[in-house]
Amino acid sequence: MKVVFVTPRYGPEIMGGAESASRTLAEHLAAEPGFEVAAYSTCALDHLTWENQLPAGDTDMNGVTLTRFKVASERQEEFFKFDGKLRRSPRHVSWEQSERWLDLNGPQVPELIAALRSGDADVAVFSPYLFLPTVAGIRSARMPTVLHPAAHDEPALYFPAIGDAFARSDALCYYTAAERRLVQRLYPVAEKAQIVLGIGLGDPIEGGQKGGDLLGLGDRPYLISVGRVDDHKGSAMLDTFFRRYKEHRPGPLALALVGRVHSTIEPHPDIVATGEVDEPTKWDLLRDASAAVSPSAMESFSLAIMEAWEQAVPVVVNALCEPTRDHCAHSGGGLWFGSYRQFEVVIDRLSADAELRRRLGASGRAYVQEHYQWPALTARYARFLESVVERGASARV
Amino acid sequence: MSGKGPEAAAAADLAVAHDYLAKVMGEIDEEVLRRRSSGDLPLRVERELDELFLKYSPMAGRDGSLEEALGVVEAASFIDPVVPVESSKPGGALVKQSIRRASLWYMGWVVHQINQFASATSRTLRVLDDRVRALQTEFDAQRVLPAPVIETKWAHGPGAWWVDRVLETIAGQSGRVLHTAAGDGWFVRRLAERELDAYGVDPREGRIDRAEVEGLDLREEAVLDHLRAVAPEGLGGLVLTGVVDGMSAAERDAVVALAGRIIAPFGRVVVHSLSEAGWTSDDAPVEADLASGRPLRSRTWATLFGRAGFEVEVIDGPGSLDYLVIAVSDGGGEGVHSTR
Repeated sequence: MKVVFVTPRYGPEIMGGAESASRTLAEHLAAEPGFEVAAYSTCALDHLTWENQLPAGDTDMNGVTLTRFKVASERQEEFFKFDGKLRRSPRHVSWEQSERWLDLNGPQVPELIAALRSGDADVAVFSPYLFLPTVAGIRSARMPTVLHPAAHDEPALYFPAIGDAFARSDALCYYTAAERRLVQRLYPVAEKAQIVLGIGLGDPIEGGQKGGDLLGLGDRPYLISVGRVDDHKGSAMLDTFFRRYKEHRPGPLALALVGRVHSTIEPHPDIVATGEVDEPTKWDLLRDASAAVSPSAMESFSLAIMEAWEQAVPVVVNALCEPTRDHCAHSGGGLWFGSYRQFEVVIDRLSADAELRRRLGASGRAYVQEHYQWPALTARYARFLESVVERGASARV
Repeated sequence: MSGKGPEAAAAADLAVAHDYLAKVMGEIDEEVLRRRSSGDLPLRVERELDELFLKYSPMAGRDGSLEEALGVVEAASFIDPVVPVESSKPGGALVKQSIRRASLWYMGWVVHQINQFASATSRTLRVLDDRVRALQTEFDAQRVLPAPVIETKWAHGPGAWWVDRVLETIAGQSGRVLHTAAGDGWFVRRLAERELDAYGVDPREGRIDRAEVEGLDLREEAVLDHLRAVAPEGLGGLVLTGVVDGMSAAERDAVVALAGRIIAPFGRVVVHSLSEAGWTSDDAPVEADLASGRPLRSRTWATLFGRAGFEVEVIDGPGSLDYLVIAVSDGGGEGVHSTR
């Protein structure tokens, strides 16, 4: 079976998020007998500018035939103004406005859409829901389509052109049951073929160094937050909360922000922003952390907290993020905060109580081991794709 | 030797982990309330921090977040007229101080009134919250629980008399066919064997785990929630077994109305229900006693579906302990047939 994955960005440079999840799924699927896996993406690395930074053309990446297409035009400043306007009342956005928003959000890759239209794949897989290649691709593809929405409760999810993409897709793949509940609250898609899959974890590839040494912190305890450092991901909030916390608790506890930085992080003696790190460094940093914080309210799964649990590290999540809070509640592996006050108390408790950290970490690890190991996930997904292909593409008028 | 299998041991460990987490989060919430009342954090600062927390929050709040929302309202209901005067420019602080001093009498007068209004609003919301809580308590005492799944050994399994009859009725149907309550997917499997595009929903926790491993499309969801999220004319067939028997009147109305919307033209709805005799039989499950509703007579279902534009056939089971109602969407018309 020929499968093509479509994501706005693709490659190991993209840490965390739906694009990274798609890549790892594509690579594991490519290792399954009977599957030939391709990926269509862009030459961009930065989702804010869509600047072409990588060469266009075909390449092989871990068993996946990757084709990168040039982005036709970089993101214009106009997008941010228009986005701000629509965010005020997303439930009242018109079809034309949402189409305009999608065009501005991009990335504009007409060659990718043309390749899909003329492609011979048996099934096309799109993720996440938010970008033009997904919406335009689902409209254009002749083969059956699977949407991995990576949906969270944000304004764009309510736009009519997005709802249309959900309606046109032939099948849906969710990361969590919470994501499915959210989508089904908004759109009548319950009868579509679907699966709640999650994301698999491989064995940690550690580098054998001490996390504190890598961060220049020595033996100081530290909290870690892995993923894009971005205001939308709650990074600015975490940065502010931690600074406030340290004003009244001048102890050794530090915070490591690990991931590409899109926010302004002012220098602080207790905060280290590492930028992007390689896999062994990430696993070393995670292993030695006191706790991993996921401040984002907009996660549809959060691979970062699964990786922390794989290392038996307890997690702290945003109480307003249903999927991550559900993970914590179901596993017993993490705490949550819904205000600065709660953040302060949660960090106090975790810092002072080694037994609490141990028990939460152990529960989280058991949860990951039971639900999110690659071989079982890949096999389930392969069966799911086979059923989607068997069912065929619906007429997309 | 405890004699517990690994699955039971894992379930027990998970239950302990859940209890522990609930205890810790309970203690954290208590400590948050204690610190909030201690006044150790200026209200203005707490408000700013909470606004920052909410800046990139989901469109819809979580259930049960009223207390948190009220906390945010209360934190925001104090307006501080004493403007900060720090400045990075030389002499800037002095200028700001002078402006503040000159305008404080005026700002203070205005802000005092706004604070009074905000405080009254906040108190009103608390009063409303108390009333809502009282109503909630009263409501909970009289709450109608969602209909349980009612299953008996003789009526809900591969050997039941209606299985072949339903397979025959649904055979050849185009569009997806939903079975609920699907349990481990035994009937979905039978439908799939007939080349039907079938899937299942079951509201009971943990019932679908094994079936998912076998690659069936089964989901753990509340039945009505699921039906509400199906596209208009999205189903070719709907088979309801064990789910309508104990439904309340409102839930039954919803099922019929939803069926009218989500079943494609010439699609089929099949309802299997126990009769009054089956419901009160010795081997009926305890859920039958606890359910908010009692089984309807078959002809009542027939009437309801007939009114909704379905052509209806009724088939009584052996000994009249249960029955089938087969409703065919024909876009109008009314008619009831009975077979024994």
